[in-house]
Amino acid sequence: MSVPRGAVHAKWIVGKVIGTKMQKTAKVRVSRLVLDPYLLKFFNKRKTYFAHDPLQQCVVGDIVLLKALPERRSKHVKHELAEIVFKVGNVIDPITGKPCAGTRFLENLSDSENLTEADTTYLSEKLQELKVCSTEK
Amino acid sequence: MPMKGRFPIRRTLQYLSQGDVIFKSSVKVMTVNYNTAGEPSEGARKFVFFNVPQIQYKNPWVQIMLFKNMTPSPFLRFYLDTGEQVLVDVEDKNNKEITEHIKKILGKSKETLEKEEREKKKLSHPATFGPKKYHLRECMCEIEGQVPCPAVVPLPKEMRGKYKTMKKEA
Repeated sequence: MSVPRGAVHAKWIVGKVIGTKMQKTAKVRVSRLVLDPYLLKFFNKRKTYFAHDPLQQCVVGDIVLLKALPERRSKHVKHELAEIVFKVGNVIDPITGKPCAGTRFLENLSDSENLTEADTTYLSEKLQELKVCSTEK
Repeated sequence: MPMKGRFPIRRTLQYLSQGDVIFKSSVKVMTVNYNTAGEPSEGARKFVFFNVPQIQYKNPWVQIMLFKNMTPSPFLRFYLDTGEQVLVDVEDKNNKEITEHIKKILGKSKETLEKEEREKKKLSHPATFGPKKYHLRECMCEIEGQVPCPAVVPLPKEMRGKYKTMKKEA
């Protein structure tokens, strides 16, 4: 048997930090989808967990990934901070790796300022080819 | 009287049980980031509207979190038990394509599911009878080829205790 990890059922959890007033501990709210038996619709059910955050790097509003500790650290703390998925006010889009806010990027995506001569000629050739293909159709 | 809501069929047990994405046991958390407006996020919106209930119904122990309008591009992210994270870009994808893709990468294959079904069947013997929770039939009278229930069809005279004692006396 591997290392008996987690005296808790939930091994990995993603939640939002709601409080950091405790020393080296973050209060994290986790929401799960629970089926209502009569309406047969899923609703968010919230639960708060306490997570150990030794460097106190969490701010209220961060989205964090928690990992279950092998044994309970204290009466309520059974998880520790694995990584901060989205830092509030500083969200990095994982697909492009660029900072973004809402539905727009914060910095200019196009890199036309850094193109060399060879690049521009190559690109304009490609563009000519594309134009020819579209006229052929 | 029709059901309430936009697509109330989503709220039927038959629709929920038709979901065919069953995650491997190592998948713990699924996170969907999508936008409420915009053409590239259309497939992700349909996925959340139609397919996420099916997935959650089939995988009740996977935590599913939905984030709206956080990043310009829509994506799915899975957190596995090994600490590995799987990032799935769903920009400009149909919701059907999204379900097919995640079924292929993180879903249990048909062989695994069939094997699990067979294992479950092995535990219970179909020929025994008893409480409905553990067996198929409750009483011997329900089995084909056996004497039918005397509550429905009266037993023939020879099988009744009254007749047998009368015969013994006589």
